Amino acid sequence: MSALYWQLVSVFSSLSVLGFGGGKGIIPQLHQDAVMKYQWVTSAQFTEFYTIGKLVPGPTTIMAALIGYAAGGPVAAAVATAAMFVPAALVMYTATVWWRKLPQSAMKSAVVGGLAPVIVGLMWSSVLSVGKGVPQTIPAFAIIGVVALLSLRTKLQAPALILGAGAAGLVLIR
Amino acid sequence: MNNTAAEAPPKPASLVQLALVIGSIALTSFGGGQKASIRKSVVRQRSWISEDDFLEGLELAQIMPGPNLTNLVVYVGHRVRGWAGALTAFLAVSIPPFAIILAVGAIYFRIKDIPLVHSALLGCAAGAIGLTLANALEMTGDQLVWPVSIVFVAVTAVAVSWFKVPLWAVLLILGPICIGLHRLRKAPPAESKA
Repeated sequence: MSALYWQLVSVFSSLSVLGFGGGKGIIPQLHQDAVMKYQWVTSAQFTEFYTIGKLVPGPTTIMAALIGYAAGGPVAAAVATAAMFVPAALVMYTATVWWRKLPQSAMKSAVVGGLAPVIVGLMWSSVLSVGKGVPQTIPAFAIIGVVALLSLRTKLQAPALILGAGAAGLVLIR
Repeated sequence: MNNTAAEAPPKPASLVQLALVIGSIALTSFGGGQKASIRKSVVRQRSWISEDDFLEGLELAQIMPGPNLTNLVVYVGHRVRGWAGALTAFLAVSIPPFAIILAVGAIYFRIKDIPLVHSALLGCAAGAIGLTLANALEMTGDQLVWPVSIVFVAVTAVAVSWFKVPLWAVLLILGPICIGLHRLRKAPPAESKA
């Protein structure tokens, strides 16, 4: 059991400090670790947890709680969540204390602007990773396309679009 | 009406006030807009920190790994009440989403196998994938100003999804290359120098 806790801590804390770009880019690696390597969750569950992570307030990576829960119950949920958020917060805290001595705007341009193509590439990989969790059928693709279009062209927010997609799923997906 | 509170001395904040303000923002943090509400709460309404300090914190929050909102409140907490403020702010922004997702998760584990619920969940999942796709498309559009970067978008996606290159290796190898090219391209900084 304690082996599980160490695995959770090592997976989530390393993703925590690699979460550049607001943490968006870690989803493919999390899928690789949680689904393929340790098999804490199935691909379908991973995508459902990701969905719940988008539905509730807070960062999507709060899905760490559900992966931990599926792997080992409530304590594992807390361990995974702490490992997901505490290391990055400690890095931020250290930076906050030392920041005035660093070359700020040069760093911002370098990290935020320079890393952007990598983060965008990771977003495409995220689409593929979470895409594995739904059946590759025409109704599913139709919902994905319509939601993407509505998200780009309207002001509708994530929870409304996800719940609307759920209603569409009731009708279209059997 | 310009009610700039720039001259007003910052009012001291208690840890409880800090927790309440940040906790309530955490509970309403759907999609975007949280940064604006933090700014409104701690800069405009309460003058806990100055506008300049806030913008500096926002910049730092975006550079450092981790969710921008979490990083930003750690910064704000530290500026307001030192390490205790940073800790309070971190807990206030983290615990409400954790509690909510566990509650939603408890319901999920109970009902997920009911056939109708299963269909609805698949629909929701397709919706979340659609949102991610939109995000990827939008972010790719932003990169089109410099087409070379599209090459790196593609190389990253193929390396990660096809060749399963670990995230740390992607950041370690492609990161410095992209940052270096970005610097070369921006050689004379966009902002006009005196």
